[in-house]
Amino acid sequence: MDFIKDFVNVLSAGSISFLLLTSIFALIIYFNLLNGRIKSGGGIAFLGFGILLLVVGIFIRPLAYLGVAYLLILFGLAALGGRLWDTKVGLRLFVVGGLAFGLSMLDPNFFLIAAKPDNVPIVAMIFLLGFFTWLALRKAYLNDSQLALGGIPWEKTESDEKLFTWPDLVYTEMLCMILLTIVMIVWSVVLRAPLEEAANPTSSPNPAKAPWYFLGLQEMLVYFDPWLAGVVLPTLIIVGLMAIPYIDTNPKGNGYYSFRERKWEIGVFLYGFLVLWSFLIITGTFLRGPNWNFFGPYEFWDPNKLVPLVNVDLSELMWVKVLGTSLPKLWIIREIFGLALIGAYLGTPPVMAAGPFRRFYLKMGAARYYVGAYLFLIMMSLPIKMVLRWLFNLKYILHIQEIFFNV
Amino acid sequence: MKPQEPIPHNYSIRRLNMIFALSSLVLLAVTGLMVGYDYIRGWKWFQLEFMRMQQERISQEIGVAQAEENKQQLADLDAQDRKNEIELARHRDQYLSAQKELDAIEGDHYRADQDYRFVKANLDAQRYITEAAVVQHLPDAPQQQAEFERQTKHLADLQLTLQESTRKRDAAKANVDQWLKKIKDAEDKKKELTASVDLLNKQLGTVDMKPFSTNWILSQPLLDFVNPVIKIDQVVLNDLSIDMNYMSVPRVDRCQTCHRAIDTPGWESKTEAARLSKELQQKLDAYQIPQEKRKETEERIAQLKRIQDAPNDILNPWRTHPKLDLYVGSASVHPLLEYGCTVCHRGQDRATEFGRAGHTPASPRMEHRWAERTALSAGFFPLPRDFEQRHWGYEENEFIETPMYPRHYYEAGCIKCHSGQMGVDRGDDITKAEQTIEIYGCYACHKIANWRFTDLRKPGPDLGGIAEKTTPEWAFRWISEPHNFRATTRMPSFFYQRNMIDPNVVPPQERAHNVKLQDAEIHAIVSFLFDKSTHRPWSPPGAGDAARGKQLVGSVGCMGCHIDTEQVKDEKTGQIRLAKREDFPLERNYGFNLTGVGTKANPAWIYNWVKNPKAYYADAPMPSLRLTDQEAADVTAYLVTMQKPAFMNTPIRPPDAQAVHDLAKGYLINTLSDVEAEAKLRSMTQHDQLVYLGQRSIEKYGCYSCHNIKGFEGLKPIGTELTVEGSKALHLFDFGFMNDEQWKNEDGTTEHVIHTVPSWVYNKLRNPRIYDDRRTKVYNDKLKMPNFHLSPEEARRIAMVVVGLTKEKVAENRMAGRDARTRLIEEGRKRVSQHNCRACHVVDGRGRDSIASTIADANFLPPDLSPEGARAQSPFLFNFLKDPTVMKIRPWVSVRMPTFHFSDEEANTLVTFFAEAGKGQQFETSRGMNPPAQNVAIGKQVFTMMRCTQCHGTTPVNPENPPVPNTADSTSLAPNLTLARMRLRHEWISDWIRRPNEMINGTRMPTNFPRDAATGGFQSPLAMAIDTPPFAQYKATLLPLFNGDEKELKRTMGDAVALTDYLRDYIWSIGITQMRTAAPGETVPAIAMPQPSLPPPTAPALKSTRNQRGAAGNSGGPGR
Repeated sequence: MDFIKDFVNVLSAGSISFLLLTSIFALIIYFNLLNGRIKSGGGIAFLGFGILLLVVGIFIRPLAYLGVAYLLILFGLAALGGRLWDTKVGLRLFVVGGLAFGLSMLDPNFFLIAAKPDNVPIVAMIFLLGFFTWLALRKAYLNDSQLALGGIPWEKTESDEKLFTWPDLVYTEMLCMILLTIVMIVWSVVLRAPLEEAANPTSSPNPAKAPWYFLGLQEMLVYFDPWLAGVVLPTLIIVGLMAIPYIDTNPKGNGYYSFRERKWEIGVFLYGFLVLWSFLIITGTFLRGPNWNFFGPYEFWDPNKLVPLVNVDLSELMWVKVLGTSLPKLWIIREIFGLALIGAYLGTPPVMAAGPFRRFYLKMGAARYYVGAYLFLIMMSLPIKMVLRWLFNLKYILHIQEIFFNV
Repeated sequence: MKPQEPIPHNYSIRRLNMIFALSSLVLLAVTGLMVGYDYIRGWKWFQLEFMRMQQERISQEIGVAQAEENKQQLADLDAQDRKNEIELARHRDQYLSAQKELDAIEGDHYRADQDYRFVKANLDAQRYITEAAVVQHLPDAPQQQAEFERQTKHLADLQLTLQESTRKRDAAKANVDQWLKKIKDAEDKKKELTASVDLLNKQLGTVDMKPFSTNWILSQPLLDFVNPVIKIDQVVLNDLSIDMNYMSVPRVDRCQTCHRAIDTPGWESKTEAARLSKELQQKLDAYQIPQEKRKETEERIAQLKRIQDAPNDILNPWRTHPKLDLYVGSASVHPLLEYGCTVCHRGQDRATEFGRAGHTPASPRMEHRWAERTALSAGFFPLPRDFEQRHWGYEENEFIETPMYPRHYYEAGCIKCHSGQMGVDRGDDITKAEQTIEIYGCYACHKIANWRFTDLRKPGPDLGGIAEKTTPEWAFRWISEPHNFRATTRMPSFFYQRNMIDPNVVPPQERAHNVKLQDAEIHAIVSFLFDKSTHRPWSPPGAGDAARGKQLVGSVGCMGCHIDTEQVKDEKTGQIRLAKREDFPLERNYGFNLTGVGTKANPAWIYNWVKNPKAYYADAPMPSLRLTDQEAADVTAYLVTMQKPAFMNTPIRPPDAQAVHDLAKGYLINTLSDVEAEAKLRSMTQHDQLVYLGQRSIEKYGCYSCHNIKGFEGLKPIGTELTVEGSKALHLFDFGFMNDEQWKNEDGTTEHVIHTVPSWVYNKLRNPRIYDDRRTKVYNDKLKMPNFHLSPEEARRIAMVVVGLTKEKVAENRMAGRDARTRLIEEGRKRVSQHNCRACHVVDGRGRDSIASTIADANFLPPDLSPEGARAQSPFLFNFLKDPTVMKIRPWVSVRMPTFHFSDEEANTLVTFFAEAGKGQQFETSRGMNPPAQNVAIGKQVFTMMRCTQCHGTTPVNPENPPVPNTADSTSLAPNLTLARMRLRHEWISDWIRRPNEMINGTRMPTNFPRDAATGGFQSPLAMAIDTPPFAQYKATLLPLFNGDEKELKRTMGDAVALTDYLRDYIWSIGITQMRTAAPGETVPAIAMPQPSLPPPTAPALKSTRNQRGAAGNSGGPGR
């Protein structure tokens, strides 16, 4: 038992769990594994990636853990059944998740965090998130298989019907209201309001946490300068969400669920929402303890835990470690590598437009293509920065303290 | 158009109806649950339980009252009732007609009364109209005037009618009453007889909670908003506000919601009942309770006795607060309505739940019991079943910023308001605790910015001349472990402590290394001190007699501040054991323990020190006892015999060169590079390295905080500031790995750290290095607070003060001792404490335990100064304090009032204190007053009759050197009265003669005028005696002085006040009027520098010595 707990503790470290989720997510989306069996070509690629991780893991220890977990999940999913959207398999998934959670609650440290009155709704929302994601994908796959056979999506069949406002709508709404009231009352009785002491500016709590829905942003502060993580990125999230209908002009999937017809759109959105937003919230809520240190789910939140802070800038990495000289005085020379890297990163869309993504460029037009591409790049800068931090202890790619500009 | 097909419903309506029905029922149920949950509060159970207890007690009392009722009398009255009714029935017609007449007349009267009142109202209105018309010059003014007069007249008529009507009605009423009178009287009598039972029944009604009783109905859920019986009780305190950062809010104490009987006498615990009944009984016996309250007090004692005899003790939270006359009681100085609870106890004022109120357990056992739950309530709120088993649903609440003080720390709450006072009246625990801090010197290393602990001298001696006093060998061993030399020393142990060498805590290899480093540091400190020490050559003593020296040490007063033994008999086991500080009064720990002083200091230094301590260093706390050279030599000879040879046999390991090098380098590389540091060290000799390291080590350990060391002036004290330590948040205390851990102390006791601030401080004090256990730290980072070897009691006391030092503020008008007069008094009290006056004197009713423990005969004790302010004239006191040789009041006393070398200012502070505390005037003008000759003559006769001369001398003497009265019986030694005029206040003398025992309990001055038990007035023994034959001659002498008026004479002889005034006048008349005054200004002697040769003692000095010794010899020798 302790071994499993330790294993989960190690896996849940941001550096590993994030990569795990990203890779599984990418492969699931790309190879449409949810809709296939492990024996397909995609399945073999999936398997191959796991073995690759294990081999690399000989040299980089965390990757070995990653590989093991990766393969475990792979076989785990296979064992549950090939078609994950089947109700039976979905139920199994739910039972396995619930069982894992229930067993974990026996652990005193896990219980302490998960059963905290503040966190109870967030735990519930994790399950709801999983359920609704599964439900949406299930509908999409059902439609996909329908469409593949030349049929029509079931929403189409439904939209021809007509129903009475009463009782079909209002009655059910009222029932929901009653049931929700019951839940709220029981909840308020069973869980005591988590009151704390009177606000005192001279004594802040440790850890000082934002409201749960902002914990993803707070988590981003670990990797980015406050002006980026606190101002630019949140603004772009909102702007980006507003821009989606203007960028995504694909008429397919209007009014009905479909995955096959909108693989990229759904993939990018779900990656941003599930991995970059929800997962960071979960990390910030359950896995960040005193001093914003990382704690595994079964670890005790020891306020005395110390983690070395030995991050370096790209300029230091390049000039000092690679080239073996001191840092140049002039910032424009000192940061030349960072500038070049960022220039190259931001220069990819035009290059890609000319090359492999010419198809998209032509289909979407220049404005849509560039706006979409840059939003995507900025979104992807988060996981890239995170990975760079974990692999190279990289603090900033650009660190120009002369003009307070850090990336 | 095609007819539309019927649209099928998406859901089965039947099923929806079912769901609707079910969910509505569930909603109803959970609403009920919500109401119920809101209704069921822990505090309600406490109130119900208390009501039950009250009901039980009242029922018992009703039983008792009913048993006491006079049954026979009641039965008689009932019989009488019946008889009266029969009688009334017989005269029924007459009664009825009278009643009818009364009814008619009452109607008339009512009408007349109404007419009168209405017209009067109209008249008042008319008055306004008339006045307005006149003032505004309206044309109808005259008419209005006439109307007003008409109405006035009308009213007068009506008044007459009304009076007549009233008279008629009263007559008619009397007529009716004559028939009813007997019945009414009997009823009244009955009521009188059953009054106490009725009252109790009424009380019972207020606590009755039977189903469907009024109380019960008013307390039902949802009905209880109207006028509930069970409700939250609170006190709002506007000027004892709570600081909520940026704003203060009034304190709202709700403690009495559960602590129901907190201000109600009668619910005391058995121990408190025993204490209180004893106290009240004593007061009763001493006639200290006014006559009209005696019965009440007796009843209260009976009630307390009942509590003591009851089978069960009353438990909290239903107990009465102890010492209601001091706290909480409405007549006390801290009434509940003005002070509430949390201002002293702390805790969350508005909370009504046990855990959230901030209750703090005092021990792990208590914590466990509080937190335990029955299985049924686990995870929810505690249920009555938990409460019955005294499980209160306690949870550690990290969010409470001011948790309550746990038991044993209660008096910490006093400091908040009483910080401007030297002691808290009746707060013996906190007063002693503060004194402990002062004497042990905690304030020296830990700044406490609080009047009580500022402007105090450094607790340790000056080390500037250490080489003159002792040897490096001794110093090394002393610093290594002072307790090996003297078990009672206040010098703490810095080295070889738990976190350095304890085999259970430190791994063996590190231990060996630590020992080397510690050795090196001690060597370094010793080297530095001796290197920088002055070398004044003190003159050697002449030949001394150790036996005489011992006698002197025991008799002149050294034992007030010093201890001279290390062996005491254990009170419990009866075995001889090593002494602890606590075995002696606190004041005796003021000076050091004399044992081993011969081993420590060289004779020449001792000789000069005892002769004049200020010569060694100016701030020396030791006063001069004015020893002559010969006496000093004798004392030196004796002190030199106090040896501890074994101590000097402990081996000294030479300093390890590598350790010295490493430590010194550790300091050097703070400012230098490694290479530079090495070079610098190479350029230093081993000795230089040691001296350098010594300086750094003194800085590290903060030796300069307690000792004056040259070169360290102005450095900040080493310890954490404690000014607001009690407000420091719990998470800021470093528990290390000791949270909720047991540990064994060096004295063999087991301690347990729990997660509270008091527990942290207490354990820190018990062993300051305890929180290093199992920590991995580099040498210089280890905890370095030294070990004072505090006993559990000492540690508790000091911890109590520490947790009481908070940043909580109360309104200025609530602070104790802020008025100008009290400030003067407190400043004086501070001096009294600093100079350890209480070692030899009783001041404010406390002290003298030290000297009393070495002198058996109370007549040889220094005086009780409780009434000093009212007693002594300020000029005398001033002179005497500055130079005690100006007057010897009781020449037979061998203990000498020391010369403190007070400055004028200091002496004035003390004189002002005594005068203000004794409510005496600063300026006494009666010295030059001459009482009338007649008074003196009468006084002289009274003086003879009362035989005052048996003890008091009346022949004028030299105040500086009066002869010792030659009396075999030491109890009849009394001051010569001719000194009184220079010394005593005029008014005080007669007061003193009247009630000496009330002023100083246990004085040998006899009480000649006992109080009358009934009136409390003074009785005169002469009232009767004057007529007896032995007094005939006095009567004869006295009569002419009263102009032959025998009646007046006899009246005077019975008047204690008049007699004592005559006595005073007589005493005044025989007083001397000249005495020497002390030299003005600073009297600190110049540093006595080496005298080339010892001058032979001068003759007069020897003579006076002989006189004093003779006095001691006469009295049988109080010394040991």
